[in-house]
Amino acid sequence: MDRNDSLSPFDQYLASPQGAMSPGIPVFSPMMHYGTGLTLQPIQSTDDLSTLEEEQQQAVVATGQLSPKSQQATQEASDPTPQLFNSQPLTTAPLLGTTPLYPSPMTPMTPAIPASEMAELVPQLHNIVCTVNLGCKLDLKSIALLARNAEYKPKRFAAVIMRIREPRTTALLFSSGKMVCTGGKSEEQSRLAARKYARIVQKLGFPIKFLDFKIQNMVGSCDVKFPIRLEALVLSHQQFASYEPELFPGLVYRMIKPRILLIFVSGKVVLTGAKVRREMSEAFNNIYSILKGFRKTS
Amino acid sequence: MNNTAASPMSAATSSSGRSTGKSISFTAELQSMMFSLGDARRPLHETAVLVEDVVHTQLINLLQQAAEVSQLRGARVISAEDLLFLMRKDKKKLRRLLKYMFFRDYKSKIVKGIDEDDLLEDKLSGSNNVNKRQKIAQDFLNSIDQTGELLAMFEDDEIDEVKQERMERAERQTRVMDSAQYAEFCESRHLSFSKKGSKFRDWLDCGSMEIKPNVVAMEILAYLAYETVAQLVDLALLVRQDMVTKAGDPFSHAISATFIQYHNSAESTAACGVEAHSDAIQPSHIREAVRRYGHKIGPLSPFTSAYRRNGMAFLAC
Repeated sequence: MDRNDSLSPFDQYLASPQGAMSPGIPVFSPMMHYGTGLTLQPIQSTDDLSTLEEEQQQAVVATGQLSPKSQQATQEASDPTPQLFNSQPLTTAPLLGTTPLYPSPMTPMTPAIPASEMAELVPQLHNIVCTVNLGCKLDLKSIALLARNAEYKPKRFAAVIMRIREPRTTALLFSSGKMVCTGGKSEEQSRLAARKYARIVQKLGFPIKFLDFKIQNMVGSCDVKFPIRLEALVLSHQQFASYEPELFPGLVYRMIKPRILLIFVSGKVVLTGAKVRREMSEAFNNIYSILKGFRKTS
Repeated sequence: MNNTAASPMSAATSSSGRSTGKSISFTAELQSMMFSLGDARRPLHETAVLVEDVVHTQLINLLQQAAEVSQLRGARVISAEDLLFLMRKDKKKLRRLLKYMFFRDYKSKIVKGIDEDDLLEDKLSGSNNVNKRQKIAQDFLNSIDQTGELLAMFEDDEIDEVKQERMERAERQTRVMDSAQYAEFCESRHLSFSKKGSKFRDWLDCGSMEIKPNVVAMEILAYLAYETVAQLVDLALLVRQDMVTKAGDPFSHAISATFIQYHNSAESTAACGVEAHSDAIQPSHIREAVRRYGHKIGPLSPFTSAYRRNGMAFLAC
């Protein structure tokens, strides 16, 4: 194809596409460093073209490695059009300079996403499950009798269920002294809630310690803000994705165990199984680059 | 013996005495379901009525057989084991059913992890609910498995071709849709018989049966009903594709006489009917599909009695 020929002199600067996910994805690999991925955009004004040509010449002159010169050229080009280029230092700067000149005829012209919008992809936490060891045996019966908001049905379940209103959480207290706390909306809230429960039990007369506080699971969600064609996603990612719309409206995407993502047609994504916030952000960014290829264009 | 399996219409008329509950009709839902499975955007009402008849008859027969099996066991309810027993002959369909059951377990596990209230309820009701369906299936197949084939299915990772084809068809269908159509398509894909539990039970007239199915058995029946519809649509699409005579097709002269008869009747109705429905599945396609499915082709087919003993070739098992 014509497009491929014109790209060949710049192949040395292009990261090899690591398995293009679906037709219609632009030239760069979706698995690239995420900062660059979002700013691909076909250029629409002639001013930019001229700076790009200049840049290309510089790139040709360079020895085929990412040289600081071409990076600077990109930075220069980025000043007049800040919304098109990411201002962060880039590892694949020449790539940005070269790709937009050859927009694929198959690629839908996606609008430019400024760097600030990328920051909006911060996942919202909905639920955090944590455990802590209170360090001494607990007498569940007396706790249930003395504490308010405590429930204990030993025949059904061998733990006291306690709830507090601020932060709105629920805790399960076991006779071994271990406690599970759920419902916190952030790590700090979760820790605060666990301490509050520990304080309640302490006031009832038990020698409480606060050992091994650990977050076991975090549930978060975010919105990629475009509709997704789930049928195509399940077909191309069969080993990771399951989609049974009669049972559940979302697609279940298994990333590295135990992280699971639920992807919905509307563009909302729910992640469960992460233990730290960084894992969550990583997972969302990975899935964002994958999902862009399955955007439902109308 | 051939004629009992060949025409669902005759079977339907014979069971019309039983179908006093014809006030319960799934026709509208079936039309949406067929759209989500590959039919045109507005499937024909007549086709949906016919599909409903076929599914209804087959499910009633299946239920009766399951009740017999259950009686043999001496149980008081029809449970998942009875249905699994009836399906033991067809490995591919059984595997699809097992995968469906495991996915149901998996989904409830995930949803529990997300919603804290669900988590607590589950803890309170006893934690033996995890993977309940998987346990039932595994225990049962363990007990009836003589040759080890059935248990091997649990480890089997082969691609299910029928499912693959359905996924590809859905992908092709949705590729050309715009957002509004796609939203409609997604809505129809969410339809299932299990969501309309009580209506489904009444439709099958479970109330008048001596031995009734339990909860897991109802889930499986809803799944089998959906599978039957899906199979019918798959086969009907194949039949419709066959009807289009392709230039250079070496077998076009070998089409059976009955097939041509259906084709001609379809043509005549289409000619005077609405041309806009030309891409929807016609009742003639469905009838031909059922006829072909029930027709055992092969050198010994007049002598085999395996399927003829009950007179009906089940599409779902």
